[in-house]
Amino acid sequence: MTWQFLADQFATQFGLWWVIWPGILLGIVVGILPGFSPQNTLIMLLPLTLAVPVEQAFAFMIALYCANHLAGGVPAILVRIPGSGGAAATTLDGYPMARKGQAQQAIVLSFTASVFGGLITTLATLALLPWLSQLGLYLRSVEMVVVMLFGLTLIAVVAAKDALKGLIAGFFGLMIGAIGTDHIYDTPRATFGFLELYDGVPLVAALIGLFAISEALVMIEEKLIVTEDARERAMRSTWADTWEGIALTGRKWWHITWTAFVGLFIGIVPGAGASIAAFVAYQQSRMWSKTPELYGTGIPEGVIAPESANNGVTSGTLVPMMALGVPGGSTAAVMMIVLQYHGMVMGPRLFTTNPELAYGVFVSMAVAYIFMIFTILPLARYMARIVLIETTYLVPVIILVTAVAAFVERQYLFDMGLALIFGIIGYIAHKTNYHVTAMLIGIILGPLFEQYLVRALRISQGDATILFSSPLGNVLWGLLALSLVLPFWRTWRQKKALAAAQFGDER
Amino acid sequence: MEKENSSAGADLLIPALALAFVVYFFVSTAELAWEAKANAIVVGTVLVLLTIAQVVRIVLRVARRQADLGMTVLWEPRDVAWKRVGMVAVTAVFIAALPWLGLTLSLWLGMFAALWVMGLRRTRILVILPLATAGSCYALFIAVLDAGFPRGPLEALLGSLLRLGGA
Repeated sequence: MTWQFLADQFATQFGLWWVIWPGILLGIVVGILPGFSPQNTLIMLLPLTLAVPVEQAFAFMIALYCANHLAGGVPAILVRIPGSGGAAATTLDGYPMARKGQAQQAIVLSFTASVFGGLITTLATLALLPWLSQLGLYLRSVEMVVVMLFGLTLIAVVAAKDALKGLIAGFFGLMIGAIGTDHIYDTPRATFGFLELYDGVPLVAALIGLFAISEALVMIEEKLIVTEDARERAMRSTWADTWEGIALTGRKWWHITWTAFVGLFIGIVPGAGASIAAFVAYQQSRMWSKTPELYGTGIPEGVIAPESANNGVTSGTLVPMMALGVPGGSTAAVMMIVLQYHGMVMGPRLFTTNPELAYGVFVSMAVAYIFMIFTILPLARYMARIVLIETTYLVPVIILVTAVAAFVERQYLFDMGLALIFGIIGYIAHKTNYHVTAMLIGIILGPLFEQYLVRALRISQGDATILFSSPLGNVLWGLLALSLVLPFWRTWRQKKALAAAQFGDER
Repeated sequence: MEKENSSAGADLLIPALALAFVVYFFVSTAELAWEAKANAIVVGTVLVLLTIAQVVRIVLRVARRQADLGMTVLWEPRDVAWKRVGMVAVTAVFIAALPWLGLTLSLWLGMFAALWVMGLRRTRILVILPLATAGSCYALFIAVLDAGFPRGPLEALLGSLLRLGGA
């Protein structure tokens, strides 16, 4: 790969602006609406993407995919409803920022962190592609079981604050995720007699119920989402707030960079995806912070980490697809279908037989991110006004429209009813501080966790000690134990320091 | 640690649901091959242990008179409790009516009822907001995406009018 080759690729992709713009706009709409996933949208648009030349089809799909990851943070910040699972961690600090009257700054931060995080990791992928493609090979089923448990535990411990309640919510989610037919014999399990649950719990219905409906039921208690002071502040918001968000991005450039790389590395692991990446980045950001106690109260770092990481995932997900022929996620799988239809064979040979396409995919991604920043930044000021709408109007729209969206994924009325049931469970969880995010991540990871666990156990013919047989896996087990113990140790130390200070005062 | 509720009975609801589900899962998969229940045994066992720890924690708090077994936290503030129940009821009726009335009409009526439950009495908004929501959903889901939503009398009428216009 020479500089001339790269320059030609960039020129070609910039020439496809007329395909990239519609992809970005559609991706933003799809990302903001819970219930619309990029893979479903791409499936619906298959007749279009199969009909046009492969370069144009891919530029469109990549733009839609990246814009979708970026826009999922908007409803997460404004109304605490993530547009996708990858934006669930953004609610932790994004929503408190909006409640403080800093919705505009939070949205700008989310956009810039997403764009720069995505751009940095895309350029890094271009440079390091041959080495990165080997990373996924080191993680087998045993390591994947620990990675999943690690992700879930981090979420439970970090997001829920009350670790026991967080773990109960997370493992309850994992258990719900096991509903449906098993992976080996296809026998239905715990489906309550419903045929609609044979394929497992629909993720969109769970997402809408646990976040949108439950949040709206809590929202009823207040006249506005924001406090009166924050409302005054939001009413006076100007373009200066957008600039403030941009300036914050400049000051936090290193934070954006390293959390984006967390997303890239997790994205390379097939199946791990944006949800885990965002939470691991959030947890790491909190762990290395000098003020970890401020996380969850509405601080910029708490928005940057998950947003940068979930866009870092976008290039990572494509690495195993391009280099090994293994799609890193469901959206990548749809893209692979389009490529195969056009006669492209994925795998290491792609880089020698068709370098224009292999590297062009990542160049296309970089160009899409460049276009995106100019498209979406001016919109932040107007989007932020949503927090000024009274809950009298907002609650009915959220509940009924998201219930409608629950139908879209599988087109079953059953899913709308299921979303309502999840809404009630989510409401109880909200009120009693069992973190719904941990529950949702458990549901997302459930089927994948079972797949890897059963695969590992079948290899060992049912011997559970196989889970402790790999050096890398054992290191991960150690880190998992550490992540469980560390918060308790930190709290104990803080209490001890406080007691010592009080004792000193009394003397 | 987050501030604990004084009515700790509500804190037992999620563990109780989780426990009931684990028991149902174990019972319904008892006859299946080990591969079909290995995951549930691993996850379910951890969940049962966590639930026991939570129950012990709550029992200790109740024994120390730091909490009671009430569930008031779920109903507070009381003045909006009926609105919450009303919204759940409206959503349930909306979903049940969808196959007969179709998306557009049931959404219009559902929005109208939901806004009424929320305390809105301004006639103009009560008509316009549901109309705009139902109209947007019709345009997006039926006219553009042709999603498989149930069609009712209004969709049939609009469909024939559009066909007539097209002809």
